[in-house]
Amino acid sequence: MGTSDAGALVAIYRRALPQVYGYLLPRCGSVVVAEDLTAEAFMAAVAAMQQGAAPDVTVPWLIGVARHKLVDHWRRQGRDERSRTVMGHADQEPEDPWEETVDRVALHAALAELNGSQRAALTLRYLDGLRVGDVAEHLGRSVHATETLLVRAKAALRRSYRRSHDD
Amino acid sequence: MTTDPLDALYLPVVPIEPRPEFADALLRRIEARPGPLDRQTATVRYFVADLDASVDFYCRLLDFEEELRPSPVFAMLYRGDLRLLLSVPGGAGAVHTLPDGTVPQPGGWNRMTLQVADLASTADSLRRHRVVFRHDIETGVAVRTLLVEDPSGNPVELIEPTAGYHERSTR
Repeated sequence: MGTSDAGALVAIYRRALPQVYGYLLPRCGSVVVAEDLTAEAFMAAVAAMQQGAAPDVTVPWLIGVARHKLVDHWRRQGRDERSRTVMGHADQEPEDPWEETVDRVALHAALAELNGSQRAALTLRYLDGLRVGDVAEHLGRSVHATETLLVRAKAALRRSYRRSHDD
Repeated sequence: MTTDPLDALYLPVVPIEPRPEFADALLRRIEARPGPLDRQTATVRYFVADLDASVDFYCRLLDFEEELRPSPVFAMLYRGDLRLLLSVPGGAGAVHTLPDGTVPQPGGWNRMTLQVADLASTADSLRRHRVVFRHDIETGVAVRTLLVEDPSGNPVELIEPTAGYHERSTR
């Protein structure tokens, strides 16, 4: 093993930083949170490199680290929400088709209304375009549990979308 | 083929420049983080007869912190930058046993030297805990010094600097 210092990361820092930040900011919608998570992702990358646990340091790898940090953030947020609220109902709504065309901006706004785990699942599945199996891995859930979560998250998103659209 | 309307959510990564102050501060953090090769932690290994008693002695009485205790025959402690490895001889894999079968033994006279702020009060505390003293507080050159034994009979020297005490000058 060569030097395991942060040299390789520093070398691509200026190029990688806008990509990692550009991944995080639209997904979490807050400069403060995006900066925190960006810093967490880069410091986690340094730690992984020092432990010899990092592959070649590339932008896609760093975005993967950032994705884990984003999921962790929503998981923490999810815990807070659970401690504040009684679990909702209406999770098993009958299938309710979307319109032919959806308003993309309103859809993203509706997504921001959801709780942490639902937001995480939909973000990984649709914004990032991951397969269900990969979403499950990121969330630390079984594929079956993830499919259930996605169904509920989509129902919640639809309610949120309709609410904002009917306003 | 039916398309999922939520595919409209797909969001490719578009680079966004963060605040320059944030970018610079984060880079400084990354560069400041010492690598494992930069740290050069001084490491001492002591052979001990009873791992539990030894960890208790060093952590409770001499301000070490337990970092690892992965097995009943090995522990890693830290006191500031000093790393102390405690091994029970003849334990797992018996890596310290010589080819002729010689097993390392605790004891002897070589010792690690730990600096304390107030030697008299440290001595009082150790005495209350019935720690074995090889010699009581003596005044040496530029230090006051005390030699005690850990529970396995390994010597540990404690010093308090006095006038003329020297450490390597900062370069």
